[in-house]
Amino acid sequence: MNLKSERRGIHVDQSELLCKKGCGYYGNPAWQGFCSKCWREEYHKARQKQIQEDWELAERLQREEEEAYASSQSTQGAQSLTFSKFEEKKTNEKTRKVTTVKKFFTASSRAGAKKALAGKLKEIQEAKAPSPSIHRQASIETDRVSKEFIEFIRTYQKPGQDIYKQCKLFLDTMSHKRELSIEEQSECAQDFYQNVADRLQTRWKVPPEKVEKAMDEVEKYIMTRQYKYVFCPETTDDEKKDLAVQKRIRALHWVTPQMLCVPVSEEIPEVSDMVVKAITDIIEMDSKRVPRDKLACITKCSKHIFNAIKITKNEPASADDFLPTLIYIVLKGNPPRLQSNIQYITRFCNPSRLMTGEDGYYFTNLCCAVAFIEKLDAQSLNLSQEDFDRFMTGQTSPKKQESDSFSPDVCLGVKQMCKSLDLLSQLNERQERIVSEAKKLEKDLIDWTDGITKEVEDIVEKYPLEIKAKSQALAAIDSENVENDKLPPPLQPQVYAG
Amino acid sequence: MSGRRVDAKVVLLGQEGVGKSSLVERCAHGRFRAGPYQNTIGAAFVAKVMTVGDQTVTLGIWDTAGSERYEAMSRIYYRGARAAVVCYDLTDSGSFQRAKFWVNELQNCEEGCRIYLCGTKSDLLEEDRRKRGVDFHDVQDYADEIKADLFETSSKTGQSVDELFQKVAEDYVNFSAFQVMTEDKGVNLSQRNSPYFYSCCHH
Repeated sequence: MNLKSERRGIHVDQSELLCKKGCGYYGNPAWQGFCSKCWREEYHKARQKQIQEDWELAERLQREEEEAYASSQSTQGAQSLTFSKFEEKKTNEKTRKVTTVKKFFTASSRAGAKKALAGKLKEIQEAKAPSPSIHRQASIETDRVSKEFIEFIRTYQKPGQDIYKQCKLFLDTMSHKRELSIEEQSECAQDFYQNVADRLQTRWKVPPEKVEKAMDEVEKYIMTRQYKYVFCPETTDDEKKDLAVQKRIRALHWVTPQMLCVPVSEEIPEVSDMVVKAITDIIEMDSKRVPRDKLACITKCSKHIFNAIKITKNEPASADDFLPTLIYIVLKGNPPRLQSNIQYITRFCNPSRLMTGEDGYYFTNLCCAVAFIEKLDAQSLNLSQEDFDRFMTGQTSPKKQESDSFSPDVCLGVKQMCKSLDLLSQLNERQERIVSEAKKLEKDLIDWTDGITKEVEDIVEKYPLEIKAKSQALAAIDSENVENDKLPPPLQPQVYAG
Repeated sequence: MSGRRVDAKVVLLGQEGVGKSSLVERCAHGRFRAGPYQNTIGAAFVAKVMTVGDQTVTLGIWDTAGSERYEAMSRIYYRGARAAVVCYDLTDSGSFQRAKFWVNELQNCEEGCRIYLCGTKSDLLEEDRRKRGVDFHDVQDYADEIKADLFETSSKTGQSVDELFQKVAEDYVNFSAFQVMTEDKGVNLSQRNSPYFYSCCHH
């Protein structure tokens, strides 16, 4: 600090102290060299411009998004929308930072070489602070959580004061450790949980149930404040992994419940209702800031899954039923920033809860589901490698082959129509078969008559019918008798006197 | 039940259909899946309170998916488990071979995890001795070799189920009492070295 003010002291001259606009009043470095009145005007203008720009950017992104999604397949529906929102928000945040930096650059270069240094300093300070609107929004929630925390901690009296002091100290320390790797920061947080719990138990002799409760509040308080620095930090490849998982799940859109052996029948309206609720819960996880709240979302999702299985099978679900269903829900829901959320929970959740309790059980199952999806191959779906490859490349879809597997979001009428169409096509097939059979029969009949005629003709040809005249035959009896001539002439009847 | 504190994680491993879920059901509610269920939605996770001497211990019992397609993920399940109940079907020798697979995995990856071998469906043997597919003495020898406890249970009749989990709880109490003693030192050391406590003095 000392060094900076000394340097500034040397370079500053009288003219620089005045308002940059030349209104004659003194300027202030905090207002970029303007006097308070001119700064308000300038700032107002810049703000308006920025809002306008942001709005335009958001609109453009929205348009692009819509165009992109109109062309892509419609099955992804709700979940991709959620993700697009998140992507848009992220891009927005980044662009905003960039424009702020740019603006300061141009401003300082116009103002001349002397002011460049001061300008840069400010620019760095400015760039470090998040944009005002986001900051304000975050601080509302942070304030609320802080108030609740203080109120809660009051009920603990003296140990409460101690916890509060420890938390403040921890947050302060952590603010100087932003450049540490995320693993080291995670370790700090875990140490902190451990130490506070130990302190409460051994030094203040607080009963275990109350320690548990206090630890939940401590986690809520510090993680609400730490969230923006340690969730999906730029130093890790969490974001890249998120996108990879996202892409993977999109590529697997064709997986049916039958392939995963999911014991849930979405034909039953009550069950499909549960499935929708489970998907909503798992997507909601991303919106929470405290690890424990994220875990609660997973637990809620799991309970809905158990209900869905129970209604379908009419008996309580076992792990053999639960895991495939959870995998199916994750595939259908494609929850945003899945990997980041899992990492964040692993790094910053109070470990006692994560490792053993019921929440931990469901979280572990979710980790398994994600691992399964990442490694999933033809064998794990009981498919042949060729089928799997064809489905992955989108050449065919298994849904067309199995007419009885509808996606549950299709309404009843459409299902009925599909069934009718199916029946019609079956009927058509049968009709065609009958016609062709009839034609065959006709042909057979013609062939048969032809055959018979030909056969008869053949036989007739083979054994020609020669009918000799009967008389001729009789006359010929003795025609060959050579000695006929030698015979005496036949006796002639003679008349004697009588 | 969902919010309660759990002391030890106990995983159930075993081939699909050996009766892990029935074991959980029997352990949690003292009944067998043969009747109507009203008040349970799932038997995949159960927090079971056990009494050991004058202490109470809460075991978090984790059912796992036994299908081979999830084999690659089983490591995620048993990470940090204090005890593993490896189940096999007494009438199916194939399931015992699978059980050996998990025992190997556990020995390689999860040293702090105690192993319990659990033969299931012993009631079927009561009906017909010839149904036995896994010899008791073979398993006993194997159990000695891997330093595991052996139980032959029936979730239908409840035979040996309570004994099994009682033993798990007792071992946890005895074993962890020893561990806490050694661990305590470790905590003290790390407290002094803890990066966050230290660095605050420099600012």
